[in-house]
Amino acid sequence: MLFRSRLQLLLLMSPATLLLAMLTLYPISQILINAFSYVDYVGAERQFVGLDNFVELSEDWFFAGAIKNSLSFSVLASLLQVGLGLALAVLFDRQFTGRRFALPVIIYPMMLSTLVCSAIWRAWYHYDFGFLNNALLSLGLEPVQWLFDPDMALFSVMLVDIWQWTPMAFLIILAGLQSIPADIKDAALTDGARGWRRFRHITLPLIMPQVLLALLLRSIDTFKLFDKVYALTGGGPGNSTETLSLFIYKQGFKFFNLGLASAAALLMLAIACALSAVYAWRYVGAKS
Amino acid sequence: MSAIKQTSVPVFPDTVAAPFSGVSRLSARTLGFYLALGAALTFFALPIVWMAGIAFTPSGEYVSDSLSLLPAHPTLAHFEALWRDGFPGRLANTLIVAVGATLLALSLGFLASYALVRFRFPRRLDHTFLLLVLVIKMMPPIVVAIPLFQLLKGLGLLDSKLGLILVYQVYTLPFCIWMLLSFVRDVPLSLEEAASLEGAGLLRRLWHIVLPLCGPGLAATFIFTLIMAWNEFLFALLYLSTPSHFTLPLYVSNFITENETFWGQLMGIGLLSSLPMLLMAGYVQRYLLRGFAMQMK
Repeated sequence: MLFRSRLQLLLLMSPATLLLAMLTLYPISQILINAFSYVDYVGAERQFVGLDNFVELSEDWFFAGAIKNSLSFSVLASLLQVGLGLALAVLFDRQFTGRRFALPVIIYPMMLSTLVCSAIWRAWYHYDFGFLNNALLSLGLEPVQWLFDPDMALFSVMLVDIWQWTPMAFLIILAGLQSIPADIKDAALTDGARGWRRFRHITLPLIMPQVLLALLLRSIDTFKLFDKVYALTGGGPGNSTETLSLFIYKQGFKFFNLGLASAAALLMLAIACALSAVYAWRYVGAKS
Repeated sequence: MSAIKQTSVPVFPDTVAAPFSGVSRLSARTLGFYLALGAALTFFALPIVWMAGIAFTPSGEYVSDSLSLLPAHPTLAHFEALWRDGFPGRLANTLIVAVGATLLALSLGFLASYALVRFRFPRRLDHTFLLLVLVIKMMPPIVVAIPLFQLLKGLGLLDSKLGLILVYQVYTLPFCIWMLLSFVRDVPLSLEEAASLEGAGLLRRLWHIVLPLCGPGLAATFIFTLIMAWNEFLFALLYLSTPSHFTLPLYVSNFITENETFWGQLMGIGLLSSLPMLLMAGYVQRYLLRGFAMQMK
């Protein structure tokens, strides 16, 4: 039996609904309007300009770079995190001494604030006295310009993200591994499937849903990348680590170019919605 | 029954076929496992161990030898400097904003997820609502940052704790609704039906039946949401302007951009601000796996 009182339903739902509507529907409607307008920030005036903002964006060299950086970061970082997370999960899908203490150690990085992570790694990346370059030197290798080499900087930021968020992919996949019934594992063993063959043909197909979920959630998350670039490189050197979030931030809050920022935000929202649609179709739609 | 069990005991064909290589292969396997485990633990733990070490290391010592993990001459100077610099105030700001945002999201989210589980919605509006909540959860926050700035400005809530608590709901409310759904689903409907037949109204059922039974779920959701709000950076950066109003993540960013040389203090903030979260991580551990298993349901 489900409860039917309309009044009670309204009472329960309206606080959350109203708050979310205020915080999202209103802002998105504003972005829709601003994206097609010229906005004078000081005079608080708006003028409809059609597609001008989008034309300007398409000619903006920094915007093109931001899209490219955001997408390549999202694809590469999520693939690496899920790959590493999968390997870790396989490692942890057994009993061993000290497992109870090893698991929290692996998970700690995702409990830290991104800014604290960035602070640690900024110190590690320091050219003259950073941990990494000193380690390289002690091995007799050349120091690396981790954050100031345009070809290197995005990967340095990615390493921090991998450090912080591989644990999440690991947990999702581990949850999947541990939900495989024991008799399937036993059956595989009696059939003589061991090692790589057993993993490839029995385990992997069974945890594919979790692997895909991790990939989707991580790609949606990495696509938003802001804090780490802000704290580590500020988008530089040049525009080699500029992401869409950083681009919108600079246009909106540094140059007060609200029309351009809104147009970029609208495009970013469209890409994020496409990604979420895959998630909703795959995981929520399937249920109902 | 026992006969069947006996035949299903796993047989290892390779050890049977090569009885003499069995022992050394097994130990090589174990060795490989511990090497991989050691490498993984080092990669994830070393930066944190290093952070803790630097927080107690005198500034000069760090620059001369950054590879040592433990300070030769431990000092509390960085923490004293932080204390004088107004760290307690920032800690209080973070605590108020994070707890406030979490309590607001938890209470509104609890009511909504209860309704979503127990009530019949007209025209399948519950699915639409959940889908919208999902989109909000996935949406990059920077997308709505500019209009929210105008909204807070209009409400006179810029640069205030209440304003932050309000805008943090963009992250926290969708998360709470989704996470609480499965906990409310686990409450037996029969208990509520019985109470309902005896005349217990909505509020009594919520307070005396659903809330206690959802206790562990609410606690886990509280902690996850608190971690989220505790570490939030983007909105704090955009909507706070007075340094004394800053939250801890923002306070950290101040040290990164302006005082590059004060690594000791920076790591001191890192250590102090993440300590509560690290301690709670131990408690939520068992819920973490369940939380992620739930995303699939």
